[in-house]
Amino acid sequence: MARMKFYCDAERCIECNACVTACKNEHEIPWGVNRRRVVTIKDGQQGERSLSVACMHCSDAPCAAVCPVDCFYTTDDGVVLHDKDICIGCGYCFYACPFGAPQFPENAAFSSRGKMDKCTFCAGGPEDDHSSDEYKKYGRNRLAEGKLPLCAEMCSTKALLAGDANMLSDIYRKRIINRGASVLNWGVNYDKVKLNT
Amino acid sequence: MLKQNMVSPVGDILKFLSILMLLVITVISQPTFAAVEGEPEGVIMKNPGADLWREVRQRNIAIEGISQIKSVDSGILINPEADRWTRFRVDQLVNYAAIILAGLALLLLVFYLLRGKIKVEGGLSRQMLHRFSDYERVLHWTLAIVFLFLAITGLTLLLGRTFLIPLFGQEFFSLLASSSKEGHNLFGPIFFASLIMMILRFVKRNIYEKGDLTWLVKGGGIIGKSHVSGGFFNMGEKTWYWIVILIGLLISVSGLILVSPNFGQGRVIMELSHIVHVISAIILIAVSFGHMYLGSVGTEGALESMKTGYVDVNWAESHHDRWAKECRDNNRVISADKFNRLQGKINSGTEESGSVAVEGNK
Repeated sequence: MARMKFYCDAERCIECNACVTACKNEHEIPWGVNRRRVVTIKDGQQGERSLSVACMHCSDAPCAAVCPVDCFYTTDDGVVLHDKDICIGCGYCFYACPFGAPQFPENAAFSSRGKMDKCTFCAGGPEDDHSSDEYKKYGRNRLAEGKLPLCAEMCSTKALLAGDANMLSDIYRKRIINRGASVLNWGVNYDKVKLNT
Repeated sequence: MLKQNMVSPVGDILKFLSILMLLVITVISQPTFAAVEGEPEGVIMKNPGADLWREVRQRNIAIEGISQIKSVDSGILINPEADRWTRFRVDQLVNYAAIILAGLALLLLVFYLLRGKIKVEGGLSRQMLHRFSDYERVLHWTLAIVFLFLAITGLTLLLGRTFLIPLFGQEFFSLLASSSKEGHNLFGPIFFASLIMMILRFVKRNIYEKGDLTWLVKGGGIIGKSHVSGGFFNMGEKTWYWIVILIGLLISVSGLILVSPNFGQGRVIMELSHIVHVISAIILIAVSFGHMYLGSVGTEGALESMKTGYVDVNWAESHHDRWAKECRDNNRVISADKFNRLQGKINSGTEESGSVAVEGNK
């Protein structure tokens, strides 16, 4: 079985935020909830890089480990999903996730948390594939349609990759090999050193 | 057997040869290394990608990026504290909380079986002293009930996955946990409010005094049989009071940080608050076991003070002798008959008329 992963190529991402917009539109995500976001570090300085980040679909997911109602499960494709009928909106997954992937709609006073929402790798949820219940709760199930997540599919610079981890590794490895020299020249001062060839 | 005999000499030769080769290689290689040292160093290849990931991972310093998604912490790519919090909850918190609380309950049971109920010295006198007003008792039971509710709902969220899901199944437990969460969030602020009222009402009587050290030295009369001295509250009660107030405040403040995530507090603050909240809650629940034990089955006559507001004079003599003396001096001892009348309870035929009077008043 495939082991689904995202990979964002920092040398290619141009911070266009199209992945964020596409995700919101495809799944009709409510206001204030963002399953994906683009973060730029060293903005305006030398070495500025952008990365698009969402749920990483961890192999050993910390959100699943801390969930008090045990609502997470990993599909055969290695996608980490959760059951919104079981979720109680406690926020523990939000504390446990290093990437800030779990999102909570504000459903009452004092920003009390509603049921958690996060990236599904466009794989829907526990409901029947393509059912209206599934769409309402989790958004479109593109994986069941034989398609990859929309954010990666429409990335203009192909910075964001989604798919089987081994295939992503192969693509990225080829890029690194081809890019070798240009990476050397990028952000390093070679004035006073000799290259040891 | 035959094979082994044939192999062993070959093995010895191989061993000898390998040691010889090792020696030769060491001797030969020595000058070669020396020659390399003299040459100019190659360029230290700094990989810009490595710097990037070091920053993303926040290895050395906390670096926050920017994001078009404007929300708290949205500029942080990786929060390294998240993993520490996860490990704390999964590896330590759940196990230790269950062991500590179950162990303590068992210990109290064993203690009760060994020591039994601590009787009032000289038996009950049927003469009473007024100890707690209606307001004080209502305040106590409000705090007690809210505390118990919060403890039960909190422990449901903490230990439910381990102990309750196997019993009830996931769907029913989800319902239970959801109501626990909502109830916990709703009643938390009420705990805080009644705690503040508890401070205002009882703080004067709970300041430590001179005689309190003697109480501690004598073990509070729980372990030994000797008579221990105490004022309105004895040293043990005062300590329980300060544990409730100080740890209760810790729980309340950390709880308020957790319950309303709309004041811009980030994940790290909430993770720390959660750790403070849960550790202090476990401590308070553990100590409350002792309070509940001593206040009910542990000590004869103790529950009466919070039930009716009155205590037996002999009970006061054995646990709060200084306060009892003060009451006697001020003629505040109430006779059994008067106490019964105050309680609306009549237990002898001679009081028939009084009973009628009470009924008539109603």
